[in-house]
Amino acid sequence: MNLTAQFFKFDNLSIFVGIFIGIFFLLITIYSFGFMWQRKKLIYYYSYLILTFISSLGAVFSNNLILFMVFWGFLGFLLYLLIEFAQTENASYTAKKAFIIIGGTDALMLLGLALVWRLTGSLQMDEISISLNTKVAVLAYMCLAAGAFAKAGAMPFHTWVPDTAEDAPTPVTAFLPASLDKLLGIYFLARITLDMFKMNPAINTVLMIVGSVTIVAAVMMALIQHDLKRLLGYHAVSQVGYMVLGIGTGNPIGIAGGLFHMLNHAIYKSCLFLSGGAVEKEAGTTDLEKLGGFGKIMPITFITFLIASLSISGIPPFNGFASKWMIYQGIIKTADNGNNLWIIWLIAAMFGSALTLASFMKLIHAVFLGQPANEQPRSNEVLTKAESMINKRRETSPTMWIPQVFLAVLCIIFGVFAYRIPLKMFIFPSLVEKIEFFGIWNASLATILIIVGVVVGIIVYLLGTIRKTRETEAFIGGEILEKQSNMRVSGTEFYNTIKDITPLGTIYGLAERKVFDIYHLGSIITFGFNKVLRYIHNGVLPTYLAWCFLGMIILFYILLR
Amino acid sequence: MIYIFYFLFFGFLLTAIIGLLASWIDRKVTAKVQYRVGPPLLQPLIDIVKLLGKETLIPAGSSKITFLMAPVIGLASVILVSTLLWINNIYPAKSFLGDLIVVLYLLVIPSISIIIGGFASRNPLASLGASREMKLILSYELPFILAILVTVIKSGFTFRLGEILTFQAQNGAFVRSWSGTLALIVAIICMQAKLALVPFDIPEAETEIVGGPLIEYSGSGLAIYRLMKNMLMFTVPFFLIIVFIGGLRLDGIHLLYGVLKYIGLVALMTVIRNTNPRVRIDQAVKFFWGPMTIIAIIAIILALLGR
Repeated sequence: MNLTAQFFKFDNLSIFVGIFIGIFFLLITIYSFGFMWQRKKLIYYYSYLILTFISSLGAVFSNNLILFMVFWGFLGFLLYLLIEFAQTENASYTAKKAFIIIGGTDALMLLGLALVWRLTGSLQMDEISISLNTKVAVLAYMCLAAGAFAKAGAMPFHTWVPDTAEDAPTPVTAFLPASLDKLLGIYFLARITLDMFKMNPAINTVLMIVGSVTIVAAVMMALIQHDLKRLLGYHAVSQVGYMVLGIGTGNPIGIAGGLFHMLNHAIYKSCLFLSGGAVEKEAGTTDLEKLGGFGKIMPITFITFLIASLSISGIPPFNGFASKWMIYQGIIKTADNGNNLWIIWLIAAMFGSALTLASFMKLIHAVFLGQPANEQPRSNEVLTKAESMINKRRETSPTMWIPQVFLAVLCIIFGVFAYRIPLKMFIFPSLVEKIEFFGIWNASLATILIIVGVVVGIIVYLLGTIRKTRETEAFIGGEILEKQSNMRVSGTEFYNTIKDITPLGTIYGLAERKVFDIYHLGSIITFGFNKVLRYIHNGVLPTYLAWCFLGMIILFYILLR
Repeated sequence: MIYIFYFLFFGFLLTAIIGLLASWIDRKVTAKVQYRVGPPLLQPLIDIVKLLGKETLIPAGSSKITFLMAPVIGLASVILVSTLLWINNIYPAKSFLGDLIVVLYLLVIPSISIIIGGFASRNPLASLGASREMKLILSYELPFILAILVTVIKSGFTFRLGEILTFQAQNGAFVRSWSGTLALIVAIICMQAKLALVPFDIPEAETEIVGGPLIEYSGSGLAIYRLMKNMLMFTVPFFLIIVFIGGLRLDGIHLLYGVLKYIGLVALMTVIRNTNPRVRIDQAVKFFWGPMTIIAIIAIILALLGR
């Protein structure tokens, strides 16, 4: 047997993931030229990016589990190094947190590997086939799945994602947690679920519970965030829920939907992060209170952000709808097994999608529409031409908006031609089982009809007096907006009503005290042990002497008994 | 090409005509309740034509294209939904699996268009109104999906509107069962919120935030929103008629039944809207996530038990 075949495997699934890793690497590198302009130690930054790219490819194509673990662990370390490039105060804490959560679950994965070795005596991915009927097998699966969950950011190992999103440089977030880690985590979950283990309904149910809880809980957290990047980070968690849910359905259409959603998510989420980064670069902040009115200043970024946020909210005909719709079909298909839990999964998925929409409406208002935060002192006359020209010039540099536009166009193409391009070329070949569609959402026809509808609308406009428009000041009951600084609606307070509802208020309170943060809990436990040990080591000589004396007595007692 | 015909004729023209008529019924009944004479039959159409002739004002500093395109997107999606519903109603066999979910999603887009339009107005009152609209969507969407799922369960787990219709044609409308009735009640109340009618006209709340998201719209933009809202007054009840009360049939005496079903729903909406005060947004959220969701869950359990 030659070495390549032993250690590496090129099948349709890994090639498909590999292609997109390459695409994202290219786009992020182009974007970084603009975003990281004039920062220090860029040579390290770019070499880490390249190393990340290479080790992701290694992880995706490796067939030997040990080799896979080496690449996988290396990725966690590179993430740590890349987060350190941030210029915020919290960066080192965040990097440490991400490293500990990912490293900790890597340890679990090693345990899983050992169990797999014990069960089968092989570490070749394509040779392993374990049925989940013993406790050891279930434990091995859970350990490996924990690693996949932590990498992808599913609950309960999600807490590093929002922190990283907030602190790391935006291209790093767009590259690792938003796209590559999702691709890799879900790739590995698909590998173990589809190839290495034979699933049974109980484990599928566990996966679906994890998925549903992740969707709803993370998006509820996203609703109340005040920071652009942190909010996006929570969505990066929430969307993982859909992928896990899709894979957990255990039927081909659901799994295909989960994988398709993984791809779509990587596209629109990195588009969102890149657009958000463009705003950050321009405004110098990601605090939603201080943003506003960027739609007019940065039209390209606004449009890419709008398209990506409609995609993530699952609005037809964008790509998010196509994959969510396949996941729904998969969920409905599980009704054939005779249990009625599918209603809960379906509600979680559909309602989660409405919540996603809500939080993106908040973002769009707070960042791009609505009133700008620091009003330039201008009287209530309309912007002059010269002023608006100056404003126009503030669109980001081409190296930054070209990747954004490319990703936004992919969102549209993968939605409108879902069956002709992405599914046919990438998703279906990577699954062994044949997909039986019970219905095709004819996105192309719907798009044509929407375009006809828009034409109808424009005709209605042209029937009217649209050519004679006039600009006026906004009407606020006779008040003048610019003079009333307290009348600005920033958008951060939109969902306070929901935050105050009785049971939710308590949960939010607990979440803000990090009760659901596995890292925080872990550190409490660790420091709890430390406290006991620290109590012994109080640095007072008589105490130590007393301990020595006590030890001697015990020793003598045992020896001379 | 045939679809474009359906789209323009059924989806746009017919829906618009019926919607305008329904809006006339609504206004006439409201007038009668308030001891007024009420508008003549063509008044809703005259309103829109008049608005088209008015000057279009754009708030300073807003993003102009977003502001003007938002109504158009909303109108296009309403036309698309009603086309889907008409095709399903006329040829149940033509429906594709999952069109129920597609309809549910498309029905949200008009609200999104109002929200984006409101946000783009650069007016604090519009922003407030739009944020309320968003919270309203959040609150009614949960019981609404649950109520619609009742029909899915009762028709033997199909997500095809056409199959739901044929099932009802063979076995009687779902509204005749306990679970169907409960679900229809929930769905009607959700519809009231979806159409932003009193008591859930919180986003617009004329007396409080002066029309909310629509405050800056005038002339053609407002005309399109008015048209869209009037068309929704047909589309949403039509959807409920299809999934709960057996659809509209266009042959013989059934046509009369169909008209009666629709007028019944419109009259119900009007009565609810005329006999209730407006609630606050937090009350609405609690109402929909509390009692309404519980009733919908009860309906689902009943449906699973076969009642």
